[in-house]
Amino acid sequence: MSAPEPVSPLARHLTAGRYGAPGDAPVYISERQCVLVQLFARKGRGDDVASAMQAGFDLQLPSPGNAASAGEITALWIQPDAWMLVAPRGSEGALAARIKAACGDAGSVVDQTHGRTVLHISGRRAAWVLAKLCRVDLHPSAFGPGRVAVTPVADLACVLHHSDAAPGFDLIVFSSYAVSFLESLTHAALETGYDVA
Amino acid sequence: MIRIDCPYCGPRDEVEFAYRGDATVRRPSADAPADAFYDYVYTRRNPRGWHVEWWHHAAGCRQFLKVVRHTMTHEVRQVAPATTVVDVPSE
Ligand SMILES: [Zn+2]
Repeated sequence: MSAPEPVSPLARHLTAGRYGAPGDAPVYISERQCVLVQLFARKGRGDDVASAMQAGFDLQLPSPGNAASAGEITALWIQPDAWMLVAPRGSEGALAARIKAACGDAGSVVDQTHGRTVLHISGRRAAWVLAKLCRVDLHPSAFGPGRVAVTPVADLACVLHHSDAAPGFDLIVFSSYAVSFLESLTHAALETGYDVA
Repeated sequence: MIRIDCPYCGPRDEVEFAYRGDATVRRPSADAPADAFYDYVYTRRNPRGWHVEWWHHAAGCRQFLKVVRHTMTHEVRQVAPATTVVDVPSE
């Protein structure tokens, strides 16, 4: 039996087009369709989980505040001995099952693909727009590519990942708040103008 | 506003944390008299000065932290993981 395909809560809320102020430096807002898996090391088993992920996926789990990638999988540090793993959409539950098989009883694995929604904001002024909504210092010298922060954005719990140097940021939020979050994000982006692909 | 330099996340705004009270309080042994439990639950020194207290980084790394804070100036002198033994500054 297979679970239903994830349905995006933003499906009817992200409509392609150009919005907000005209100008030559808009930001770009899109939804990323990802598989999300949360991995927790059980008490005292952090090293075992790290070596299991190294052996099974050639992935070195990142230190606090950082991301690390191996192939199609990106691991984001979310708290001590816990990571969010992000990968392209594949068959339902497959990645979680592979991770569980690799980690055995050293780790707890929860598939969050339905539970979380990933928004992406890019463009020269992306950090400037995000700075209206969050309190973390987003200057490249403090929060460069590959950095991760678990912090409220628009007063909602968010995993903020500086995912590409262009610059671009992934914003992982609870799916149940995704529409409200998108509203805040697009409101903040009216000033630069924003483009939905 | 207080800025708390989380040992895991770096400097964060106070709004990300939940204040969890005096971190020096010790639970009495199970056979201690009722008075000891009354003090454990209710009696606090409420000092004007340095105070070691729990702050839970609820909207960040979810860790309990020990924070050494001056109750009058809000200066934060030390932030440490929960198991760290911290000293109360003398002044
Ligand atoms: Zn923290």
